[in-house]
Amino acid sequence: MKLREGTLAWLFVGPPLLCIGLVVFFPLVYSLWLSFTDVNLLRTTGPAIEVGGMRVPLYRWIGLRNYAQALADPIYWDSLWRTLYFVAAFVAEATVVGLGMALVLNERFAGRPLLRSLLLVPWSLSRIVVGLLWIGILDFEFGALNGVLLRIGLVEGAIAFFKEGWSALNVLVSVYMWNQAPFATLLFLAGMQSISEDLYAAAEVDGAGYWRRLWYVTLPALRPIVFLVLVLATVNGFLMLDLIYVLTMGGPGYDTTTVSWHGFKTSFTFFKFGPGTAVLYTLTALCLLLTVVYHKLVLARFEPEG
Amino acid sequence: MTLTRRTFLGTTGVAAAAAVLGEGRLRAARADRSINFAGWVFKPDTVKDYVDYFNKKHGGQVKYDAVPWATYHPTMETRAMAGEIVDVMYCNSANRERWVDNGLIRALDDLPGMDELKKKMAPGNLEAAKNRDGSKIVGLPYFTSLFILIYNEPMLQQAGITAPAKTWDELVEHCTKLKRNKISDTPYLPNWNNSGSGTMPQLLSDCHSEGATVFDAKNRLIVDQEPGAARALERWQKVYKDGLVNPEVLTKTSSTDTHRLFWTGRYAYHTNHSYYLRTIAGEPENSKLAPKKAKMAMYPGNGQTHMFTEWYTINAKTTALADAWKFATFLGGNLNGDWYVQRQWCLIAGLDNAYPEMYDNPEIVQSYDRWIDLKLLREQYKKGRPNNAFKEPWFSEWDSKAIAIVHNIIRGTSTVPRGLKELTALYKSLV
Repeated sequence: MKLREGTLAWLFVGPPLLCIGLVVFFPLVYSLWLSFTDVNLLRTTGPAIEVGGMRVPLYRWIGLRNYAQALADPIYWDSLWRTLYFVAAFVAEATVVGLGMALVLNERFAGRPLLRSLLLVPWSLSRIVVGLLWIGILDFEFGALNGVLLRIGLVEGAIAFFKEGWSALNVLVSVYMWNQAPFATLLFLAGMQSISEDLYAAAEVDGAGYWRRLWYVTLPALRPIVFLVLVLATVNGFLMLDLIYVLTMGGPGYDTTTVSWHGFKTSFTFFKFGPGTAVLYTLTALCLLLTVVYHKLVLARFEPEG
Repeated sequence: MTLTRRTFLGTTGVAAAAAVLGEGRLRAARADRSINFAGWVFKPDTVKDYVDYFNKKHGGQVKYDAVPWATYHPTMETRAMAGEIVDVMYCNSANRERWVDNGLIRALDDLPGMDELKKKMAPGNLEAAKNRDGSKIVGLPYFTSLFILIYNEPMLQQAGITAPAKTWDELVEHCTKLKRNKISDTPYLPNWNNSGSGTMPQLLSDCHSEGATVFDAKNRLIVDQEPGAARALERWQKVYKDGLVNPEVLTKTSSTDTHRLFWTGRYAYHTNHSYYLRTIAGEPENSKLAPKKAKMAMYPGNGQTHMFTEWYTINAKTTALADAWKFATFLGGNLNGDWYVQRQWCLIAGLDNAYPEMYDNPEIVQSYDRWIDLKLLREQYKKGRPNNAFKEPWFSEWDSKAIAIVHNIIRGTSTVPRGLKELTALYKSLV
């Protein structure tokens, strides 16, 4: 029996599409639905559907009430400003440091392959491990950094890096940058490898030095990568949660509470899954908005090669 | 093969001997149905050991599942939502009433032997075992604990201090002297960590010790009307401002992390859950204050302190109630006749239990003697004050959000009167 080409294609594509639908789209749509409903996990307040033998309650539709409740909470707005600072600082640091490391690792020198491999170690660690590792370095009582500083006499007493909210927030930014910048480096390196050597040769013939080659050849060619790094770093920055869990739990006070932590607490500590998902969907909206802004700013004048 | 009388008797004889000599000798009649049991992760290997012991000795078919603490209660709710029945579940006090209100767990009063257990339970724990209106028992105790004062005896001796502080003023005075004499940078280690087991139980303890009532008999928050609460918070501000406390304690994420600081021997006083003294004074491989260089003293002030209990509960939809109850009484009662599970927790982790008669057990007395003055601990329990407000639906959220307000008071970014008003306003917004 001969199958039509279209049928055969659907046979191949169908199962993966179904899996993606179940694993990606269904939870996405369901969680968006939850943000408009009155959710109590233990009590159904609306109809339910069956998915693969599992009962999925739909709960009672309450419109925008969860969003109104989330936006009326002063903790949300404080968390939002803090999140914007966190994301801006993290994106800037991760991009600059990632680009700097990529520029170094793009040069030829002894030990480059080893360094390129080592570069991936921070990125490949679980963030819980990253948090514990940095507690080991920065802790007031047990921290290696305080130990070294005290031993060589640079400080008289141990430094409390998590004492004030401002310093604790910046520690979070730096630790997250340490964890994520290698990935940006990897993307930038891949981008640099694809730049034609002819462009550099031509620039050299025109008398361009290192910095001019960087400014007029490398950076323009890296625009799509810069866009990708900015988008990924922004999304990752907005969603960062695990380091807060390990390092500060949002404290002292609310000083390191970001919107993602606030949404997590609302959902999983206070069991308010409706308002919790509403809080987290405001982050999704912000991410989408910033993606559009980056697109306009970074890619607007970029013309891909024909 | 031909079966003769001789081979039949020989074969059955060998089989019977194997059954008796092997584990079968211990095995009681198997339970009809398997029981699903879930708990948050705390020494899961110990839990697995006693589940195995129960299955062998009492003929159970219990399947154990350990869920990480951070997501334990939402996970159990999600599983219930999807139709899964976990027959026996751990439940912490802040979430238990929510499970009662929504019909996830059942009352235990009608089950055989409950009346006997009620008689054996300490009054404070029995009160806590009841639901909000006090009409039903809804949990069997997993463990109970209270806040105690721990002191570093060698450090006090070094400073010429002969006895631990009996009042809060004395404690502050001792700490000031220790800092002034450069014996300790930050002599006082209160449990002000950012988790549910830190700052707020510490506040309740200190308020109780000042004679303040945080919640009235109807579980209404009245902390802003209590001079004792203001005194406690003013003292907290002072010790923080004077640099007597390690400021990073505010961002510690658990009471476990907090108590480990005391292992260093660099602090003079520590307030925390009683069981943490077991590692501080009883584990020389970890703590510089073991063996028994750190000791317990009666809580300062009037000696009253916050006491709480965590629970084993039974799913209201269990289809194997008899087996689930049998297992629950093994865990939280005395099915084995020797307080088997409670004894394990006492010996292994220093977790106390709601049944005072267990403390007559020589093995327990001997074990406690290695890290604490058991007699004094039992005296402290007489002054333990349970907090019944945990049964209110708003309590969990108030308790969690209040931490930030209290941290602001401690750091001086809010005044005590303003902070107390904020605590009350938060309560009113949730009720």
